[in-house]
Amino acid sequence: MRKHRQRRNRLARTLVAAASAVSLSLLAGCVGEGVDLGPASSDRLVRAAIGGAPDQLDPHQTSSYFSFQVLENVYDTLVEPDENLQMQPALAESWDISEDQLTWTFHLREGVTFHDGSDFTAEDVVYSYTRIIDEELANAWRLATVEEVTATGEYTVEIGVSQPTPNLLTAIGGFKGMAIVSEDNAESGDIAQHPIGTGPFSFRDSRDGDYIWLESNPDYWGGAPAVDGVQFSYISEPTTAIAALRSGEVDWTDSVPPQQVEALSRDQAIALDTLVSTDYWYLAMNQDREPWSDERVRQAVAYAVDRDSIAQVVGYGTAVVNQLAIPETSPWYAAYDRYSLDPGQAQELMDEAGVSEASMDLMVSTDYPETVTAAQVIADNLAAIGIDVSIRTLDMATWLDDQDQGEFDALIMGWLGNLDPDDYYYAQHHSEGPSNAQGYANPDVDELLDAGRQELDEDRRRELYAEAATLIADDVSYLYLYNPSVIQAHAQRLTGYEMRSDRAVRFRDVNLEEDA
Amino acid sequence: MSAAPQNAAPASQTASSKVLSSPVLRFLARRLLYTAVVLLGVMVVVFALVQLVPGDPIRIALGTRYTPETYAALQAASGLDRPLPVQFFSYIGSALTGDLGVSFRNGAPVTLLLLERLPATLTLALGGLVVALLIAIPLGTLAALKEGGWADGVVRVLSQIGVSVPDFWMGMLLITLFSTVLGWLPSAGYTPFTQDPAGWLSHLLLPAVTVGLVSGAIMTRYVRAAVLDVAHAGVIRTARSKGLRRAVVLGRHLGRNALVPVLTIAGIQLATLLGGVIVVEVVFAWPGLGRMMFDAVSSRDYPVIQGAVLLIAVIFLLINLIVDLLYAIVDPRIRLA
Repeated sequence: MRKHRQRRNRLARTLVAAASAVSLSLLAGCVGEGVDLGPASSDRLVRAAIGGAPDQLDPHQTSSYFSFQVLENVYDTLVEPDENLQMQPALAESWDISEDQLTWTFHLREGVTFHDGSDFTAEDVVYSYTRIIDEELANAWRLATVEEVTATGEYTVEIGVSQPTPNLLTAIGGFKGMAIVSEDNAESGDIAQHPIGTGPFSFRDSRDGDYIWLESNPDYWGGAPAVDGVQFSYISEPTTAIAALRSGEVDWTDSVPPQQVEALSRDQAIALDTLVSTDYWYLAMNQDREPWSDERVRQAVAYAVDRDSIAQVVGYGTAVVNQLAIPETSPWYAAYDRYSLDPGQAQELMDEAGVSEASMDLMVSTDYPETVTAAQVIADNLAAIGIDVSIRTLDMATWLDDQDQGEFDALIMGWLGNLDPDDYYYAQHHSEGPSNAQGYANPDVDELLDAGRQELDEDRRRELYAEAATLIADDVSYLYLYNPSVIQAHAQRLTGYEMRSDRAVRFRDVNLEEDA
Repeated sequence: MSAAPQNAAPASQTASSKVLSSPVLRFLARRLLYTAVVLLGVMVVVFALVQLVPGDPIRIALGTRYTPETYAALQAASGLDRPLPVQFFSYIGSALTGDLGVSFRNGAPVTLLLLERLPATLTLALGGLVVALLIAIPLGTLAALKEGGWADGVVRVLSQIGVSVPDFWMGMLLITLFSTVLGWLPSAGYTPFTQDPAGWLSHLLLPAVTVGLVSGAIMTRYVRAAVLDVAHAGVIRTARSKGLRRAVVLGRHLGRNALVPVLTIAGIQLATLLGGVIVVEVVFAWPGLGRMMFDAVSSRDYPVIQGAVLLIAVIFLLINLIVDLLYAIVDPRIRLA
């Protein structure tokens, strides 16, 4: 009996040990948690599900779309694009350009305050742009022609440029990466986690990997938002995001895969919208390698690729095929339809070039599954003209490495959020362009792109870019494939939300109806 | 008060000589030393590995377009412009003081980021383990006791299914049923226990069941095998022949003897779960270590990858240590020699 009791004691000790281990871990789990009841306690809160966590919240440093989905609602720029992507007054009420086109004067809105209560003045504009330029931050290239930024009055700012810069407004207002920040906030480093802006919502709280909670700014210059705030939670799995939307856990999401569009559009409780975006996806062939250096071979590929099939398999009817970069909704659209699916023509061009067979190392990225899908169609298409495609699927980091080192025959990628043609034609197709990995050089194109950079007459500028784009497509510097759609879904009780083709997500004008 | 330190000195001397003589503490000391060596090894290997993986963190952080000056500025700010040996030794140096550096992505201290994620990961791992044990112990024992019978067959088929079903699909199925159709449980997210215990539980249930079903299916097999081993050994026959009641035999003799291998596998399962159940975390938007590592690897955030691996290694070694200690308690024949 005594022995049994001892044993029992030992077993009891085991259990106690196990139990204390568990409770210790639970205790550890509680450390660092506040008693804040969290954002979920308000029913006037817009709950938005986005596809991933922002890397940081400093608008001048981040390049993450998830960050900008949040920051769009926290910050303002001097000017901002309207739904037709035309620049409209924001923190600047008006502006003039000097005769020589080298000085821009911006007249700022008065009475605007930052979320911490401090006044917004010309000094904040000077600080923000100087920070981007002097610290060589991510968007410094957008201000390449800016020589000086000076406050000439409390609410007047002058920007001096080295050459006429027609796209200055797009450069400083195209997206929130050029936001006006608070100097104290930026200098203290708090900006990366607790940004302070002048926008319709102020940062309230966040939990790493979980959510960011914004509160309405009652003093917003554009009028206080009707809702209490916005909670952005990160749901990277689209099926979960849609389940959460259907069960009423979230009010808005853009995690909607194209193949779900049809099923979701039948759900009466959900409003689903698609709108062709200014993003584009393309195939580029390495012109430093044989046989892709021969434009006839590239043109053969252009005739052999079935864009309609690609758009169908990646977009399920939501993507729009395009032979140039920009869709009809953009003011910079130009019509072009030289290439149609024509294997005969493709074969002729291959014969002309004297290439009977070739192998193509086609580089795509798992971070963008649409590139993998498109590559499979293209591989099938090109087999018909004797090109043997091997698809190399990489993560984005490795993909970028190989792109920079020219380690590819061809690649598929997208260019997102396109506003001004200088941004996406010069960088990718000028012989000196920083993103011209395919090694394209056409002096005529260079000349047109150089001229476009300085042409302030909008019609003339549009002609220059249409001409350049035509040459780019003729030479197949890029084989443009399609423009995808922005796809967003929200609960019917969320009203006043406007979807935008530049993918900016603005919640300042929304309202939440009482549950019907 | 002033007398206390004087008295304490000889006492602590006695204690230290006792320390060396106590087998448990000697065992602990040796294991801690061993742990330190392993951790150093882990640091070296992880540091080397992240450097070997292609992909440039600066390039990823900057996106598609930037100037060379921008690149250089960010490189200098992250310390990546220094020679590798310098980077390595400065990393080890700070890591020894608990400073795991700052994230390339947002400049936040890695230690803080890890601590922020740990509660969610602990919750899910322990929740999953509880579910797994609740499944594995009754089913595994039942199957073993009815070896070759229909109950055994059913359990074995169920466990085979459980092991084969992808946790991704299982999670989706549970979400569709319990969130979308029935509307009983939330489909995504995490609520800390301190903030709202009911919300904590309701958010935990689906992911914990998803994790637990897979883990439980694996453990059911181990429990069955362990119980079978013991049941076939002489101990049970001896106990029965001594006239002990069946319940006593099952609980005291069979249970205790079968517990050793089960503890091992439970420890390994727990450590694995703590390492992050990436897929389940992604499906349920669970803010745990697994997703953090996944994101860190995609952006080549070296300090976060290194810190997370180090933390998981520490947890793994710690759990192994606890399991070893538990062996000795459960089975006195095992000595901590």
